[in-house]
Amino acid sequence: MQNKQLRNWIPFLLLTGLLVGGPTLSGSPALAADPAPQAAQSANIFVGKVTGKSNKAKTISIEVKGKNEFVKFDDKTTGLEHADEGEAAVIQFEMRGDDKFATTIKPKLASLPEGVKEMKAGELAKFVALGPDEGKYVLIDSRPAAAYHEGHIPTAISIPDSVMKETGAAYLPGDAKLKDLQLIFYCGGYT
Amino acid sequence: MSPNSAGLAKKMGYTNVHVMLEGVPGWKKAGKSVVASEKLVQTGNIVLLDLRSKAEYEAGHIPKAHNIPMAALAEKEDSLPIKAPIVVYANSFVEAQQGYNLIKKWGAKTGSIWPGGVNSWTATGKKLATGPTPASITWVRELEKGEVGVAEFKKAMEGGGNQVILDVRTKDEVQTGAFKNSISIPLDQIEKRLGELPKGKEMLIHCSTGARAEMAKNALDKAGMKSRILRADVECEQGKCEIKD
Repeated sequence: MQNKQLRNWIPFLLLTGLLVGGPTLSGSPALAADPAPQAAQSANIFVGKVTGKSNKAKTISIEVKGKNEFVKFDDKTTGLEHADEGEAAVIQFEMRGDDKFATTIKPKLASLPEGVKEMKAGELAKFVALGPDEGKYVLIDSRPAAAYHEGHIPTAISIPDSVMKETGAAYLPGDAKLKDLQLIFYCGGYT
Repeated sequence: MSPNSAGLAKKMGYTNVHVMLEGVPGWKKAGKSVVASEKLVQTGNIVLLDLRSKAEYEAGHIPKAHNIPMAALAEKEDSLPIKAPIVVYANSFVEAQQGYNLIKKWGAKTGSIWPGGVNSWTATGKKLATGPTPASITWVRELEKGEVGVAEFKKAMEGGGNQVILDVRTKDEVQTGAFKNSISIPLDQIEKRLGELPKGKEMLIHCSTGARAEMAKNALDKAGMKSRILRADVECEQGKCEIKD
């Protein structure tokens, strides 16, 4: 996984490097907190959550720093499969007249805070099969509560990200001896 | 979202913190099921399915549940409202999962399992209902925030009110038919042509499904213009348009 992630990163780092003069080339990918620095935004790149794609209007809408942006696409656009609603994407575009046309779309890989490890679905499934007591874990659903109610990974508890910011401590085991208890967080995908 | 929360936990002193980056989509892709909360089963606008035998169902089932025995489920594709969140339960998780997988194959986007069936329901002191299953399954979608209902939309076609219909389909689609009292601006031109919209009116946006309307609404929201969308299928032929909810 680590290798694959790195491979996926290389073209993007090179690209950013070419466009904005290489701000993060020397940094480890996992530590690059924001893969699209402000300068890159003005260099025809949108990084954000895809909020819609219409094949009829050949248009993608993407939320970039809280603002909605439209980008058109055509037969030459590569990576259209990464522009699915709800996915985090990096869209490189060019101006044709007044219109923005997507040239390349790549998935945006989430970066993890220092000291936090990734867990894959297969490994999580092993813990879930054991249950929280035997598997010694707390599984936390970070999505809004409504999404949790509708359908969550078995054995998960709900602590929406917004709640975690405010009063998260109240929901986690507070005993100092339990600080090495395994906590596993998830949400709605790579966002 | 989850990386943020994990970072906070780390700051709180937890040393063994993980994030499952693939999230719920990755879990489902791995062939796993998701489960419903008790609150959803109790009060949610869902279709609850009991996959056990008729005799077991009639002896005691979770209130509001419909009975389709697992053996008969495969023939019932047409009687299920596929747009509804469908929650299934059975005698075992494995059996419930089989039913859930079948329904998912039919195109249900939201669905989950109530694990533990009737036992986990009565375990917390809640009562079961008895008797035969209702004759048919009905489900009415509740309007989400920012949506306009079909009845109100139709009223806006008559004009005179404070609402105007905005049609964001392509030129070719508009040629097959359009609603009265509507303005046509294809989605890909919407940002540039916002100035053409009447000021002080609420725009009711439609396309052929609701997907493009939602994208257009984002642009109107950004410009501070009031709007709602019609999330329904609009089919036009020879100048006449029909709304299918």
